[in-house]
Amino acid sequence: MKLAVAFVVALLLQLGLTASHLWWVLPACQPLLLVVVAAARRLDPVGVAWYGLAAGLVSDVLSQRIIGPGGIGGAVAGFVVASVVRRFEMEGPLYWIVGSLLASACSDLTWMLVAATLGVQPDHGLSGVLATVAMTGAAGLAVAAAERALRAWQSPARRRRRVLRRL
Amino acid sequence: MVQLRLRPDLAIVVVCIGLYIGSAAQARSPLGGTALSVAVATIAAPAVAVGNAVGAAWQLFWTGQRDLRSTLAELRKLRLESAELRRNNQLLSAEVTALRQGSRLLAAYPSLAERSVLARVIARDLPRTHTLRLDRGSRDGIHVDGPVLGEGGLVGRVDQVLEHSCRVQLLSHPAAAAAAAVAGVQQEALLVGGDQPRLTGLSPYTQVPLDSPILSTGSEGIYPPGLVFGTTLEARNDGLFTVVPVRLAANAAEVTVVLVLAPTVRGAP
Repeated sequence: MKLAVAFVVALLLQLGLTASHLWWVLPACQPLLLVVVAAARRLDPVGVAWYGLAAGLVSDVLSQRIIGPGGIGGAVAGFVVASVVRRFEMEGPLYWIVGSLLASACSDLTWMLVAATLGVQPDHGLSGVLATVAMTGAAGLAVAAAERALRAWQSPARRRRRVLRRL
Repeated sequence: MVQLRLRPDLAIVVVCIGLYIGSAAQARSPLGGTALSVAVATIAAPAVAVGNAVGAAWQLFWTGQRDLRSTLAELRKLRLESAELRRNNQLLSAEVTALRQGSRLLAAYPSLAERSVLARVIARDLPRTHTLRLDRGSRDGIHVDGPVLGEGGLVGRVDQVLEHSCRVQLLSHPAAAAAAAVAGVQQEALLVGGDQPRLTGLSPYTQVPLDSPILSTGSEGIYPPGLVFGTTLEARNDGLFTVVPVRLAANAAEVTVVLVLAPTVRGAP
């Protein structure tokens, strides 16, 4: 359920980031891929690949490209991220940062590969890939920082300190 | 009825292949302006509007902050300029005061103006060395033992001369001494310095009127005769002499411009 809510929020965010009043680099960020990364904690690689497929298809629809390559790219990205995270037992900020970088890189490179095999002219080049990886990585870093802050806020140690202060 | 069970890992591969084929079909026959694109645009509109609102607010905030920063910088600059102007104003006021004092000094002693040099006090040490430092030196014709005249009267004599400055030994210096006479008293006396300058050398029980002017006589060969040293305070007998405390006419703490006279030639009539 949480993942579904996160998916919708990420979808709206991805749409909102294309607003003309925002910084021009922001549309390169792919919040939907962060949901795929988040799914890697709870699901097996194939389950994450399904999530990636859905995210990629939605991205294709939103960006009004050919529907399909994005889904394939998302599926590959989800599988790779889940496999790497499990293999190296990643946790905390490293999980988010490596996961988001890996997911964006895999998704975009797969998309370009598929587009190349289909004979379709890609709508962005290497600089676009780099921008996507950088911005999605930055978003992953922000999520990691937010998660750490939330954990610190909800930690039992902090709760104990608060109780002791009241005594 | 045949039940088709597909493993999830195989299913996703199959779906991807299907997507690839579908993509190829789309690439061969592109569709434009479909209902899907209209739906996407409709769904995207509120999110884009929110994004634009956030972006516009951020731009406003950023512009305001930049304006505030530039305003504060301007304020800081203006404050510095104001302080600089205030300092300049003070310097100019001091300059004007000195010029006025100098012009009053020259007007007070017109006969001495020709053989004297107007100088400004650049440093003073009254409590320790009882000296003033002037901004004129040997290059301006200042010589050792030149009498120094303030607006109220004599201040002291030049005791050290450099090229661009000179030092004045005040009458309050413990080693200072000058021949003087009290108006209305026949005898000549010796004015000596110290924390309280005084006249000595008067015979005992000499009647010295209070607040009488004390003038130079020139007998010591430094100060020209007839210039004011100060006024008398209450006289008293001390041993063989009558001692008269003196209130000096020129306040060395306030004098800013002085007239340095050419030294008197010793032995000259």
